[in-house]
This record gives sequence, C-alpha cells and structure tokens, in this order.
Amino acid sequence: MLKEDLILKNPLRVLSPADQGKAAAPRMGLVMSRAGLGKTAILVQIALDSMLRGNKVLHVSIGQSLEKTKIWYDDIFQDISRACNLERAAEIQEELMSQRMIMTFNEESFGVAKLQERLKDLIDQNIFQPDCLLVDGFDCSISPEKVLVQIRDLAKKLNINIWISAVCHRNDDRVSKSGVPAPCHEADALFDTIILLQPDAEKKCIALNIMKRDGEVGGSRPSLILDPSTLLIIEKC
Amino acid sequence: MQKDLSKVRNIGISAHIDSGKTTLTERILFYTDRIHAIHEVRGKDGVGAKMDSMELEKERGITIQSAATYCSWKDHSINIIDTPGHVDFTIEVERALRVLDGAVLILCSVGGVQSQSITVNRQMSRYKVPRVVFINKCDRTGANPERVANQVRDKLGLNAVMMQIPIGLEGDLEGVVDLVTMKAIYFDGDNGEKIREEEIPAHLLDEATGKREEMLDAVSMFSDELMEAILEGEPTEKMIKDAILKGTLALELAPVFMGSAYKNRGVQCLLDAITMYMPNPMDIRNIALDLRNEEQELVLTSKSEDPLVCLAFKLEDGRYGQLTYIRIYQGHLKKGDTIINSRTGKKVKIGRLVRMHADEMEEIDESGAGDIVALFGVDCASGDTFTSSDISYSMSSMHVPNPVISLAIIPVDNKSQGNMSKALNRFTKEDPTFRTYVDHETNETIVSGMGELHLDVYIERMKREYGAEVKVGAPQVAYRETITQRAEFNYSHKKQTGGSGQFGRVGGYMEPLAEGEYEFVDNIVGGVIPREFISSCDKGFRKSLEKGSLAEFPVSGVRCVINDGAYHAVDSSDIAFQLAAIGAFKEGYKKAHPVLMEPIMKVAVEGPTEFQGGIMGSLNQRRGIIIGTLEEGEYTAVEAEVPLSEMFGYSTVLRSLTQGKAEFTMEFSDYKQVPRNVAENLIEEMRKKKKEQGK
Repeated sequence: MLKEDLILKNPLRVLSPADQGKAAAPRMGLVMSRAGLGKTAILVQIALDSMLRGNKVLHVSIGQSLEKTKIWYDDIFQDISRACNLERAAEIQEELMSQRMIMTFNEESFGVAKLQERLKDLIDQNIFQPDCLLVDGFDCSISPEKVLVQIRDLAKKLNINIWISAVCHRNDDRVSKSGVPAPCHEADALFDTIILLQPDAEKKCIALNIMKRDGEVGGSRPSLILDPSTLLIIEKC
Repeated sequence: MQKDLSKVRNIGISAHIDSGKTTLTERILFYTDRIHAIHEVRGKDGVGAKMDSMELEKERGITIQSAATYCSWKDHSINIIDTPGHVDFTIEVERALRVLDGAVLILCSVGGVQSQSITVNRQMSRYKVPRVVFINKCDRTGANPERVANQVRDKLGLNAVMMQIPIGLEGDLEGVVDLVTMKAIYFDGDNGEKIREEEIPAHLLDEATGKREEMLDAVSMFSDELMEAILEGEPTEKMIKDAILKGTLALELAPVFMGSAYKNRGVQCLLDAITMYMPNPMDIRNIALDLRNEEQELVLTSKSEDPLVCLAFKLEDGRYGQLTYIRIYQGHLKKGDTIINSRTGKKVKIGRLVRMHADEMEEIDESGAGDIVALFGVDCASGDTFTSSDISYSMSSMHVPNPVISLAIIPVDNKSQGNMSKALNRFTKEDPTFRTYVDHETNETIVSGMGELHLDVYIERMKREYGAEVKVGAPQVAYRETITQRAEFNYSHKKQTGGSGQFGRVGGYMEPLAEGEYEFVDNIVGGVIPREFISSCDKGFRKSLEKGSLAEFPVSGVRCVINDGAYHAVDSSDIAFQLAAIGAFKEGYKKAHPVLMEPIMKVAVEGPTEFQGGIMGSLNQRRGIIIGTLEEGEYTAVEAEVPLSEMFGYSTVLRSLTQGKAEFTMEFSDYKQVPRNVAENLIEEMRKKKKEQGK
C-alpha cells in the first residue's frame, strides 16, 4: 500500500472525512473511556493520520515520559505499516516524526497558562508551528469546564485543532443529555467530536462510540472498533 | 584452583560524568584491603585515585579507560570494571557491560537521573544487566535521595525500591538505616572503616517503619513465601533477601542504596549488597553461536570442566606488551594451554596469565569459568572469541558505532612523525571507534572518533606518552555520499598504447541498499566475464566507494549488480576489469541521484525551566529538530536531533545563554540527508579546495 492509499482507506475517515488541518480549525475533540482501554492509542492514530496529511502535531503528554510517548508512536506506526503492507515504511516514518513534537509535563507542572506560554515560544521563534494539538493525561476529575473553556479559547486564538483525552469512572453515573459521562458531562457543548470507548464483552473488543461528530449529536454512526491485540482502529464488519 | 562460582561477582560501575564512580571504587579497594591509603581523584596529594592510572586521567579528573580490578569481600571474589562516564568513551562502557553479570548504577543525590544515566541505563538494558542503584554524594547541599529514587522510577522505568534511609543529610549525614535488618549503621574511624550498628534513632523510627512496609510491599511480589510470612506476622531476613535477589535477577527490581563515598558513608553496605543481590556467573544465561552447526544458539554452562569459551573484550598495549582482557564463560584456562581464535582459526599458546588490578598485575597459573583475567602477547582484535580446539563457538558480537568526526594531524618534526605512527598503531588496536588513515591527496594523517573530547584525549596522550607533538586541523564532520535510485551502467575500458593492451566491459546496475554499506552481486551467466575477473570488478567498485564524485566523501549504502560484460582473450586482466568497474561505477553513480549524508546527533540539554525557550531556539538555529521537552517543576530537559556539523562550539553558546546553569550531552544517532542548500555549499567548498590544491 502507498502512503496516499493509507490516508484514503484510514478508518478514521468516517470520523472526519474533511482534512483535519488548518482548514477545519479550530475544532475540539474528546476521547473518553475508563482507565486502560486505549485512549492514548486513539490519540496517536489521530495524530498519525493528521501527520500523514502533512499537518504538524504537538503531543502534550501529562505524567508520561518522553520515551514512553515516542514508543507509542513507533509501535502504532509499525503495526499500521505491517497491517497495510505499507511501502517505504521506514522513510515515511522518518518523514512523519519530523512533523511531530512531544511536550511532557509532570502533573504538578501542567497548566493551560504554561502551555500557552510554551506554545508562544515555539511559534514566535518559528521552532514548531502546530496544526493539531493533543493533550493526553489531563486530569478532568474536578469540574473541568473552566479549564476546557480556556483550552477551547486557545484553539480559537491559535486557529488549531485540539484533541483531549479524559478518564471516566465506573462508579460515577452522571451523564449529559446526549449521554456524555462525567466528568465531562457538563462540557459536552465545547466539543465538536466526542468518542467514548466501551468494552464489548460479547465480541471481545473495544467499541468506539461516536457520540458527536462535526458538531452533530446522534444520527447514524459508522461502527469502529479497536483491535484488542494491536489497539488499531478498524471498521466493524 | 577451583573456585566456588556462587561466590564470584563480575560487576561494573557506571554513571553520569562526575557522579563519583572512581571515588567509590577507591573506597571499595580500601575497605577490601587492596590499597592501604585513600587518594582522591583531584586530591591535593597529587597521587590521584588508584583506578585512574593514566597521567591524563589524574590531571583531568575523569576516567578515560576502564580499568579492571579485583577484590574480596566477606569470602566473595569481586571483579570490578570502572567505566568512563563521558559519552565519547561509550565503547568502553559497552564493552564492559557485555562481559559483566551485574552493575552498580551511581546517581548523584543532587543531580539525580541525568542524560548520561539514561544512556547508561539503556546500554544496561540492551545487555540485560541486573543493577543496584547507589545514590552518592548524600553529603552535598540539596541532597534528596527520595527524589532521586522517584526519578529512577519515572525516567529510567526501573522498579526502584529504597533499601535504606539516610540518617541526616547534607553536612549532617551520619549513616544509614537498613530497612531489612531495621538497624542504624554508622561509619566510624578516620576513613569510615569501623562499622557500628545501633538501634534506629527515635526520630527516624516512624519513617523507617513506613519505608520498610513500602519495601516489603514491593519485594513480596517476587516471593509467595514472603507474602504469606508478611500476612502471618514477621518475615525473616533471609526471606526478604531472597526475594530481593529474585526480583533483581529478573530485572524487575532495582534495590536502592545510598551514602557518600567521599565522606566514607555507606560503601560497605553497598559491598554487602553486591555479594547478596548481584548475580553470580551461573545465574546469567550466556549465549554462543555454534559455527560448525549453522550458527545455532547454545547456552553456555559456566562449568569449569566443559570446553573453554572466552571473549576478548579489551586490548591494551601496556608497559609489558599487548595485554588482552578476557572473560571466561565456560571451561578453564591454564598457563601453557593452546586455544583457538574462532574468528581467524589460529592457534594461540597461553604464555602468561594475569589478574589485573588497575595498572598492576598478579601472575596466576590458572583460571576458571566466570573469571575476568588478562593474557599476554596474544594477537587478536577486541570482540574475538577463544575456545578450546574441540569446539568452534562465537559469542555474539558487540555493538561498535562508526566514528563521526575527524581531524587532520600534522607532526611538527621528524621525531614526532615516528612516534605518532607508533601511538596511532596502538590506539587503533585498543579502541575500535578510533580510526586513522592518510589522505593521499593532502598527505595528511586523519584521525576519526566519536566526538571532540574523544580525539582531544588521544592527541594529548600522543604528546604525553609518546612525545609526539602534532598540529591539529579544524574538526571535520564525517560526511558520506549515497545514491537514491537505481541506475544502469555499461562501460568498456580499452587501452592500446603499444605492448599488451587492456580490455574489459562491465554491465549491470546499482541500487540503494537500505542496510549495510556495500553489497556486490554477481549475476553473470555464460562466462561473459570470466570467473577470475569477477573479484576484480568487486575490487574496482570498492575502490570507487572510497571517494564519491559528488564531493569526494566515502560512498555507502550501494548494491552493485553485474549481469553483463565482455572480455578479450589476451588483453583482459585483473587491472583492466578493475578499471572497467571504476568506469562503470562513475557512469551509474551520476544517474543514480547521489546525495550527501551527515551524522545527526541526539542532543539532550538539561537546565532550569526559565531557559527552555532559549534552549529550544538555540537548537532550532542549528538545524535541530526538537523531538520533545520534559518539564518537572523548575527543571526542564529538551531532546533534539541536530547535525554534528552545527554542534561545534555549542558548549560556549549554551553557557552564555543560560548563565552556565544548563548542560548538554550528545551521542551519535544516525546518518541523514543534508538539506539541498547546505549540500550545495559543501560541494562548492570541496571544489574550491581542490582547485587550490591543484595550484
């Protein structure tokens, strides 16, 4: 398979057929699930898709080391290239990695103001101009609305797309009208796209429940699942 | 002499620059009665530490060569390799790790896990070396062993578990509390040689009890027996120690000890830990390849009665001739034995067998599996395997990086010229990452190595040890050329100038080779090029690789395939086909879109957060690609990939940019294509240089 086919046939196309680059910005997406179901794997695949289409991605990882985040990208890319029998994989991987930058913070050091300051450094000095920003590991547990509004403002101000991951808990049954679970149940209006990961015990896989797409709630949704062995997104047959 | 192998330890000591490796080794030698006085690395007495035997090492206060030494502690024999901390000497670290069974990772209690610690840890993981952590310099202002232990968990990904807590810190460091025995340990006497065990001071009792519980929680994962004992009541000391050993050997636990080697605190406890928690040679699974059986993997037995297998991991041209350090994996070795070098197949007779102690040696008659000893007068390369004559095994080879930087050196007078060749001859044999050649066009001697400091040290050594004064040119980056697409060639070499003529035609194609430097494929059928001239074609191509036609840098990553040709019964010869291949290479190379490649370094800069923007800017200006940043409170680290050619003089820039508060390390990462504008400038420069030489 060639790089172009990989972009066209990517199951993520059903999630957002349009280019995720500057043209679509500013958009904000949310990936939610209980701990350990594959949020980072989804974010990395969104990032890789964006990078394949020529966009620059800044991956902000909170509480995870630089090395581990890099390994996520290497592993997922290798799995994709193996699964699709990608030609010139090593070359493409090298090209993609120059479009990615990782910023890691420990939990105590992270704040939206600080992130904004760092982004300003990168953009003003022309070090890295991201088209897409991923925030993984952000603690949404205590009323996150205020911070999410700040992040939304940041996306608008910089005209970039932002994806955030959030953990929901089994014992917290609060949900929004559209079914978005706590702790983001009161902030669902801020997001254009919301994906909820749910284990499907019967089929022994993890389903991607697309609760909101391009600002629309409900409607018929294509079915995507995570392959339990590789954590790659695939279309449910 | 049959030794009890369970009481042998082969360990290495590695860490970041200036974490105190050599100082710690000095204390170990003192407490194990190998030396009778302690000399400091930068001590006022001018003697220097025992392990830093080279004059230059003493002067600069850094360890350049790893010296091997041997000591005994509580009826255990310990072979220690002291390894250099600077990344330019990384081959020494790699070699040491290859032959060691366990390692002590030293960290500074203030600096914590620094970039070089990460490199060393990665190397240890590559060779699956179990490790214990020693947090040194607990007497320094700002010491915080707990923070460092957390860093070991976060940054190195090791399951670090504190086995001790300090009694006092910084200037008040008195000793440590052992969480296994729950005793306070103090170090009395002028050199801390008298150990005094007491009850835990009342103010530390709660903390010690809490930490012991944490330790037991972590350790009990490795022993059901211990877990049951904890649930039922008080576990025994032996159960805890067995579980720690089990976890450490499985590389799933890194016990953490602490102290201050300089202030003589905690070293003896570390020695106890080495005997208790580091593997003996039988605990480690060593693999060899059976050369007589299609390189099938075999597990070596560690038994002295089995056939001999040993690995030469370091060569040294010392005062008494060439010395070869070997690690015996299986079997035993006696003076007068004949052994076989499995690479060359040559027989070697063992004349003298010695045990090394820094630069002094002890003659021994025989040695067995698990030991590290040295041989005299054996001609071999480092990384060679020696076996007894009835088997032919090879140990897997060691990872040797290619040099990335070179310098022209010019001797100042005739005497220096002779001495310089002697010195270069010795250095290249000892260190595979240090290479030398003569540039035929400029007639200059070029030395190449892993970094500026690496070459700097050899040039100093040339001057001091051999009296060879040399003038040094500006450092040059080792650029390379490669091709990016397949191209055909079909070249005839004809020469008719009286006497016998020359004729040969070579046809085929060249294509990029993803892995490896060069490959020659012979697809000739029907004898259009006679057998005897096939190797001439290979030779011709190899000659062409020495200098590419783009900018005269060596060419790599090329597969040359020949599938057509012609010969003449009288005029074809070896030289004719060599020249035909050279012509064919030139013809194909032009069409194959050659490009320039440059060494890219992985650079890590660490410093206060306030300078993060500036640091990133400085790397960006140097054509660097920022891979990532890390922020933890007031501390930040930036990781980037930067071309080596842009890194000259970076230390000065960084110092002025950050008021000297940031530091950086770099290591070779990969070769990458030079951007077009830079490549054009380089090619232009080469043209000018050539023109000037022509004049």
